[in-house]
Amino acid sequence: MEGLILFAVSLLSLGAIYTILCLALNLEAGTGPLWDLGIVSFFGVGAYAYTLVTAPPAAAYQGYILGLGLPMWMGLVAAGLAGAIVAWLIGLPTLRLKREYFLITTLAFAEAIRQIYVNEEWLTNGVAGIYGIAQPFKQAVASANYGYLLLAIFLVGLTVVALLVHRLTASAFGRTLKALRENEPLAMTAGIDPRRYSMTVFVIAGLFSGIAGAFYIWYATLIVPTLFTSDITFFIWTAVIIGGLGSMRGALLGGFIFILLHDLLRFVQVSADAAVALTSLRTAFIGVVLVLILRFRPNGLFPEKPVKNLLPDMLKEASNA
Amino acid sequence: MDILIFGTISASVLLLSSIGFALILKTDGFINVAHGQMLLLGAYIALYLIDLGAGFILSAILASTACGLVGILLYRFIFQPVKRQGTLVLLFTSVGVAYIINGFVGFVAGLRMLAFDLPPVRAIRIGGVPFMTPYELAITVAALLSALGIHLFLNHTWSGKSMRAVSDNESLARLRGFDPKRTSDIVWFVGSALGGLAGVFLGALGSLHLQMGWQQMVIILAVAVLGGLGSIYGVMLAALVLAFGTELALTVVSSSYRTGIAFFIIIIVLLIRPGGLQSLWGGGVARAH
Repeated sequence: MEGLILFAVSLLSLGAIYTILCLALNLEAGTGPLWDLGIVSFFGVGAYAYTLVTAPPAAAYQGYILGLGLPMWMGLVAAGLAGAIVAWLIGLPTLRLKREYFLITTLAFAEAIRQIYVNEEWLTNGVAGIYGIAQPFKQAVASANYGYLLLAIFLVGLTVVALLVHRLTASAFGRTLKALRENEPLAMTAGIDPRRYSMTVFVIAGLFSGIAGAFYIWYATLIVPTLFTSDITFFIWTAVIIGGLGSMRGALLGGFIFILLHDLLRFVQVSADAAVALTSLRTAFIGVVLVLILRFRPNGLFPEKPVKNLLPDMLKEASNA
Repeated sequence: MDILIFGTISASVLLLSSIGFALILKTDGFINVAHGQMLLLGAYIALYLIDLGAGFILSAILASTACGLVGILLYRFIFQPVKRQGTLVLLFTSVGVAYIINGFVGFVAGLRMLAFDLPPVRAIRIGGVPFMTPYELAITVAALLSALGIHLFLNHTWSGKSMRAVSDNESLARLRGFDPKRTSDIVWFVGSALGGLAGVFLGALGSLHLQMGWQQMVIILAVAVLGGLGSIYGVMLAALVLAFGTELALTVVSSSYRTGIAFFIIIIVLLIRPGGLQSLWGGGVARAH
């Protein structure tokens, strides 16, 4: 029973981190017009930025730059900034591309960035990675209970991001993004500059994803390039699509539903051979779920609801005022 | 000289992998991520057949036919029903299909890295200089033949013409007596069979592992974008450009950046010509997304 609860806490923690990514992706691809297949770039860059800023200087057998040993909150700031800056840099050449071209080019950038983590050992310590990264408030509670504290931190982070994304979506900025999503030429005739708004939402998504990257380091306590393959991008997209692209509720629940589907089978205790077969079956199972949902609920489990502006009511309010 | 030979071989594999993807993209208008898994499927079916004692050529033909049939089934039962939901639904349905095929192959074959049990061969020598092994020669010939075949198919057969008609304007094509479903059947068969064949060759050149479909898919996407989405001739040119460009660049950059170079080339090309290489001869101008 104790093991089961620990497992659930760990699952929820990972779910919270993925859900932040889902919210970021949903803001740019669901509310906004950007089909971004490279969201893992910001996640990975944020994680590396956090590590390089907070880790102690590299030991003789390692090789990575900085290692400033700064406090964790500065690491978080660095992670968000790094995500945002990388988004800006990638956005400069790619945002003028049309949908499918944008999709593939962002994927290309994500792959290229991952190769940099692997190959540039002076920067990231390469495939060897960096281990034993400190976690926040580690001494505050008994180590057996630390999982709960970490989960609470992630949930607070998730709530903050969710509130921000919710406000952004409901604001004039969110409506502008929806206009661009629905009909770019029409939006332009209404005086909306697509490049400017696309860039803004791309950078915001980069910022949130970078912070999620730092959270992920708290969760994993190590960093290696294989954590940031494009699998993550496809997982996040799958989660958002299962939930319902463009719907806030869909993105919030989609992340947790996906983690549940993906990692529930991990709890089953089996022999090593069967474990390999089980991993493959799990992949196939997620595929089946994705295909079935798209077939029978193409707008996801929690579809985006149209926003109603009840003009008569608003007129009445205005005349009463 | 080495650059020329390696470039030709990798261009051939790229060409074979990408043509099928481009055909499907052209007719049905979506990015079929499951195409990479067709390569995986083809390679593993061939592996199974070779282990049973069938010869390499027979296995390659059977595996690619099997992939073609799987392609038709996928189209009929999975993609066609969601076609009117739009590009994004089709794209992620294909991601789901890719997970299913990958999981299925992994379940049957396991995670280990495998290789074809082929008799070792020596490179053919021309004037005393080693040229290519018979396998590599077969790949080059197969790639050239399929490029030529696709060209003749598109321009000189009823099915080829109907395919171009359907991809340009489906309702108009239907009005003029082309059957879009039958056309798509042919396209999915040919496209998936070529993908399966590319997988067999990829396996023959190196090894077989579960990630090969994903890895090759990323490169196929690179070729497709470079050529211009939906352009068959653009893809043919892009395979050459990418293969030779990569081989040339590898003389100055470390070989661990192999796919990185490919993406660097795309980024440069898209910055100069956002429509890909097809815009060199005026293609893709009217394509509205």
